Amino acid sequence: MPNVTLFDTRARYIFLPIFITTKSGKKIELDAILDSGAPNTELSDQALERAGFLDTIKKDVQLKPGLQTQKYGKVSLPQIEICSHPVNNLEVYVSHFEKSWGVDALIGLDFFKRFRVTVDYKAGHLITAPL
Amino acid sequence: MTQKMTWEEMKKAFPDEWLLIVDYETDSSGHVVAGVVERHSREKDEVFCSPVVNKDCAFKYTGESTFPGGWRSYAQRYTV
Repeated sequence: MPNVTLFDTRARYIFLPIFITTKSGKKIELDAILDSGAPNTELSDQALERAGFLDTIKKDVQLKPGLQTQKYGKVSLPQIEICSHPVNNLEVYVSHFEKSWGVDALIGLDFFKRFRVTVDYKAGHLITAPL
Repeated sequence: MTQKMTWEEMKKAFPDEWLLIVDYETDSSGHVVAGVVERHSREKDEVFCSPVVNKDCAFKYTGESTFPGGWRSYAQRYTV
């Protein structure tokens, strides 16, 4: 079943809300960027720690020149909702995100491998459907 | 803070800040449109820190994202 997700066409990127279910069963809403240049979905270490999926945040992580993010681990999320589609057991990278980026996730090509994604800038929406 | 605010009101009241929002409402796409600001700060750490709110919540930033994505931006930032 296709879902329609509105986005702000004036923004520099396509920002999307995502929802992760924490270990205690609560839902956390986070903002994400749809990033077809990212091979895999990445979440911020702060968000993953808050949700109970990361024990410790590495304090000495610094961005290397030429990299958008600094990945330093992987976790499997039992349940995450992207574009109103529940996705189970999604393996995501743990990354350091700068606070000024204003987001806690990059939705990468692994999402595109599971869903047909149509970007319609004229309409200001995405249409997503499971493959 | 227990007053429910719209997202537009939050952006005006807390410019360039991270917010922890509870009792939120979303539109059909999942974007937060209103809620109660439980915590706010320019320091992201202060908003994400313990104690954990034992209810559904949203973490949002009211400023403009400075995410530097794209290879063109790398070329601009890292001249070889």
